[in-house]
Amino acid sequence: MTAEELKARYGNLVLNLSAAIEAGDEASFTTHLNAMMQNRDDGLWSQLRKLTTDLGSALERFQLDSRLVDLAEKEVPDAKHRLDHVLKMTDEAAHKTMDLVEQSGPLAGRISSDAEQLSAMWQQFRTRQISPEDFRDLLDKMEVFLNDVRSTSEQLRANLAEVLMTQGYQDLSGQIIRGVIKLVDEVETTLGQLVHLATGETTKDSGNDKFRESRGYGPAVPGVDHGKVVNGQQDIDALLSGLGI
Amino acid sequence: MSKDLRFLVVDDFSTMRRIIKNLLHDLGYQNVTEADDGNTALPVLQAGGIDFLITDWNMPGMPGLELLKAVRSDPKLAKMPVLMLTAEAKREQIVEAAQAGVNGYVIKPFTAVTLKEKLDKILEARAAAK
Repeated sequence: MTAEELKARYGNLVLNLSAAIEAGDEASFTTHLNAMMQNRDDGLWSQLRKLTTDLGSALERFQLDSRLVDLAEKEVPDAKHRLDHVLKMTDEAAHKTMDLVEQSGPLAGRISSDAEQLSAMWQQFRTRQISPEDFRDLLDKMEVFLNDVRSTSEQLRANLAEVLMTQGYQDLSGQIIRGVIKLVDEVETTLGQLVHLATGETTKDSGNDKFRESRGYGPAVPGVDHGKVVNGQQDIDALLSGLGI
Repeated sequence: MSKDLRFLVVDDFSTMRRIIKNLLHDLGYQNVTEADDGNTALPVLQAGGIDFLITDWNMPGMPGLELLKAVRSDPKLAKMPVLMLTAEAKREQIVEAAQAGVNGYVIKPFTAVTLKEKLDKILEARAAAK
């Protein structure tokens, strides 16, 4: 406390006190003495309140700092790995789909050109302009064509089924991206809380670990530790069979 | 195996629901209903008419594990076969699902063959239990 503050706070009280002594006024003396003690206690309490608030803020800031460190050191780099994995997954799915389309195109083209050729011969047969040799040729070609159509259609059907399965990447990458969005949201909230703390405003609770657990963790990403993760369907089958399922 | 079974497929990603629906159609199961999380699935199940539940785990609203628990705790649905089809890969989660009464667990990404195998296994076990 500076000399001015000391004087402003206690100056009048001391003057009143000494005036009461001079006058021998005990009642006035007691009143002013009580006022002086009250003043001193108020000062102590306000100091104590300030200390408590500072301690609370420091603890809160410490918790936020720890969370920020955790976010910066582990979760943000993890998020980068996750997004890299999404990139890889979408790249593989796009290439696989295009491979299947590229493989299917010529198969469909071959059926079309064979049918066109047969169609011309068939037309000759219908207009009775076909020689016996050409007719035998038509029958042979027809037989080959029908077998080819059957096997090629099977192949096309399998390729289409594979294209369908490949689209599963959208679900898996979507879940990972959703996880990263949550992380960005948390970074935003934590930084916001720090700003609020600095400006003395109240903070919001950001802890949602339990929420996350019941929701699940999303797809396992290679290189990002999720704890004990199974390695494919065979692992799960073994685990479940151990549990009698 | 009867092809008249009525399936409910629960997944928040419509692409995955389409994939599963198509695979079920290829296996001869034409009766497939869809829901996008546990909250929308539960009333469909409670309304009756569903024979088999295929559900994801990680969904907004009610996740698959809670849906499974709700199914098992409802006397009318308790015996419903439930296959979990999810990307959740932690051992403790699989054990948790097993303890909650799941009948099968398929990890994403999966193949058509795996889905068929697990479906057949569950249906055979049920047929044997009857």
